[in-house]
Amino acid sequence: MKFVPLVWAGIWRNRTESLLTLLALSVGFTLFGTMLTLNQAYERAIVDTRMDRLIVACAFDCGEIPIGYAQQVARIPHVTAVGGELWTGEFHPDKQHPPITVMLVDEGMRRAWPELPMSEADWRALDLNPTGIFLGRTAAARHKVHVGDTVIVNSGPGGTADGSGLYYFTVLGFIADPPGWHEGPLETIVGNLRYQQNWGRLDERNIVLTLRVAVDRPENARAVCREIETWFTNATPALYCVPARADAQETADANINMRQISLGIGAAGLFMILFLCANGIADSVRERLPEFGVLKAMGFRDSHVALLVILEAAIPTLLATLIGGALAWAVDALIAHLALTGAIALPETHATPAAFGWALAAALLIALLSALAPLNRLRRMDVAAVITGR
Amino acid sequence: MNELRQIVATSLIGIGSLRERYATALVVVVGMACVVGVLTSMLSVTAGLARAYFRPEDATRAMVWGGRATFDQMRSLHPDAIGTILDAPGIARGPDGAPLADPEFLMWILPVEGFAAGSLQVRGVGPAGIELRPAFRIVAGRMFRTGSRELVVGVGAARKFGLSAGSEVRLRDGSWPIVGVFACGADIIESYLVGDAITVMAARRRAGFAQVLVQLVDAKAYPAFEAWLMGNPALSSVYVERKTDYDRRELGVNTTFFTRMSFVIGAIMALGALFGVVKIMYAAVRARTREIGTLRAIGFGATPVVVSVLTEAALLGAIGALLGASLAWLIFEGRDMWVWGAFKLHVAPSLWALGLAWGLVTSLLGGLFPALRAGRLPPVDALRTG
Repeated sequence: MKFVPLVWAGIWRNRTESLLTLLALSVGFTLFGTMLTLNQAYERAIVDTRMDRLIVACAFDCGEIPIGYAQQVARIPHVTAVGGELWTGEFHPDKQHPPITVMLVDEGMRRAWPELPMSEADWRALDLNPTGIFLGRTAAARHKVHVGDTVIVNSGPGGTADGSGLYYFTVLGFIADPPGWHEGPLETIVGNLRYQQNWGRLDERNIVLTLRVAVDRPENARAVCREIETWFTNATPALYCVPARADAQETADANINMRQISLGIGAAGLFMILFLCANGIADSVRERLPEFGVLKAMGFRDSHVALLVILEAAIPTLLATLIGGALAWAVDALIAHLALTGAIALPETHATPAAFGWALAAALLIALLSALAPLNRLRRMDVAAVITGR
Repeated sequence: MNELRQIVATSLIGIGSLRERYATALVVVVGMACVVGVLTSMLSVTAGLARAYFRPEDATRAMVWGGRATFDQMRSLHPDAIGTILDAPGIARGPDGAPLADPEFLMWILPVEGFAAGSLQVRGVGPAGIELRPAFRIVAGRMFRTGSRELVVGVGAARKFGLSAGSEVRLRDGSWPIVGVFACGADIIESYLVGDAITVMAARRRAGFAQVLVQLVDAKAYPAFEAWLMGNPALSSVYVERKTDYDRRELGVNTTFFTRMSFVIGAIMALGALFGVVKIMYAAVRARTREIGTLRAIGFGATPVVVSVLTEAALLGAIGALLGASLAWLIFEGRDMWVWGAFKLHVAPSLWALGLAWGLVTSLLGGLFPALRAGRLPPVDALRTG
């Protein structure tokens, strides 16, 4: 405790410059915290995708799988459920409007993809109302619709049995977004495949775009995928299968690698403030050499002086971590809100204890690195010369 | 004139004394280098993508496609419609009098292990397709033969997927040999496998083309060309766009948000650097108090002192910005990237200029208050306290 007044006097010696340093450090830690939570959000989108779920699509981009394939896939050992999905998207000739895309699912999806955040009651309602849809929170925020509203989706000329291309969906309720699903133009709107099977263009009925398959254990995923591909090698269309997590990983790798970029930016932010912090503490020690000389002459050991300097470096960085952490938390909340409304194509970020822990560790590391050179100077200091001003 | 001389003199004195204050100067330089380095590195992604998509010749080109499909690969233009499209006014003609327009076919092929579905695509082109790409040249192996089940692979796709002349890829009707590797002046087509459109369509068992790339006689021909196509009752569900607009829209899906995010991050980092510059420049003014007092005492005005502090801040900011842009250039320029297509990162000259401006504005803003304080220092007090 006896060090506290000394440390405080050191920090508060030049208030304006200390405050400016604190502000710069806070900005650095805000950026670091935000980038870290962003990185975690991107990682989470992959990790949360289960390995025991498979995605089966047409091998050669035909985009159309006969729904009858589902029954054959279901007979493959280790497969526990199969569901089909088809997307119908709103068509705008001018392409200026964001598309509304509805994922039409069959009832097999209930067991094949239980992570789709729909309750038993939701599934029952969808079964009873083939024209019904459930909107994810993002889609609901984007389209500002209410339960009972009619959403007209234009699938383009000739897209329906009557040639109009219009689907008339009724909003049944709202569901949470599956992880990562609200990024970009696609959004979660779940409808009943039966509607399309009865109302779609005749030659587009009884087909799905993707089959989702659940297997009994994650370690069987690759083997089941190989089995599915082998079964349908000579079929028309042939099938391609990939575990859902591998698909999420590969898709992330095919895009701008935000996981690497966010870490790089965070590191650059820390490097930027490292020099500022080091300069501040070096200046402080240089200007107060006589003071340290007196302390040493009074009997302060090198370790005590080192502790003083390290505390003087660590207190602003830790304080900046707290301020930066609070600001990063606010930025995360803003990102989550904007992502929800579709204004930005980022995953929902949430401040986590792990991110805060990393920020604290970084703050201590910066403080220690900043104190190294001044400590070395103090260790080699000639006390008598410093006190006498020689 | 006298004031100008004073400005030069005080600025030179200030800059000359930087050697004694190199550690503090380094803080501004490193801070600004980080800001500009991050900004230019991030924007090199969009600059690289833009370079891959936008070609100078695109200004006089148009893209025609059939509607009702979200993805290019699932569009369908019936072959019967192609003849009508090629009759449209404004299409340039080749030496043989044939219209310079190429119906193209696009398809995804079986994902290569470890790469996302949709990464590797085949583009079926006709003879005009090669003619429309003057930079197209075979760099290994040979060109595919029209009517044969053969493909050539772009250098970008070859690098990404480990393909070369002699490799094979599976299409719907079996294995197709890759007989050559091509380059096309870093055009996005280098991310594709290219083959004869009609033969690829036969393998795919689909009769429709995806789109028609059209060379117009000049940019002014576009409105009439568009009006003719859109008003032609024989062409239903056909859409047309200038090639530049088409690419901008396609590219925008991947890059608009990323570009905005780059600027937001650049601004946040600049704010951090700004506080740093203010702090450092206050310290610089403090270190130069006696010098400033002396200058004022011998008749130098306040303005030259203010300008000298701003000059010092601007100089340090500019050095930092150039250092940051240089580092970004050294690390990232020409580096291979893949964002649903191969391209090379590009720290374009415009990014250097942007980085320099970013650094200068930040450092000038940071130097403003310390400069005003330096200008207001009473000479007597400055001499006493310095």
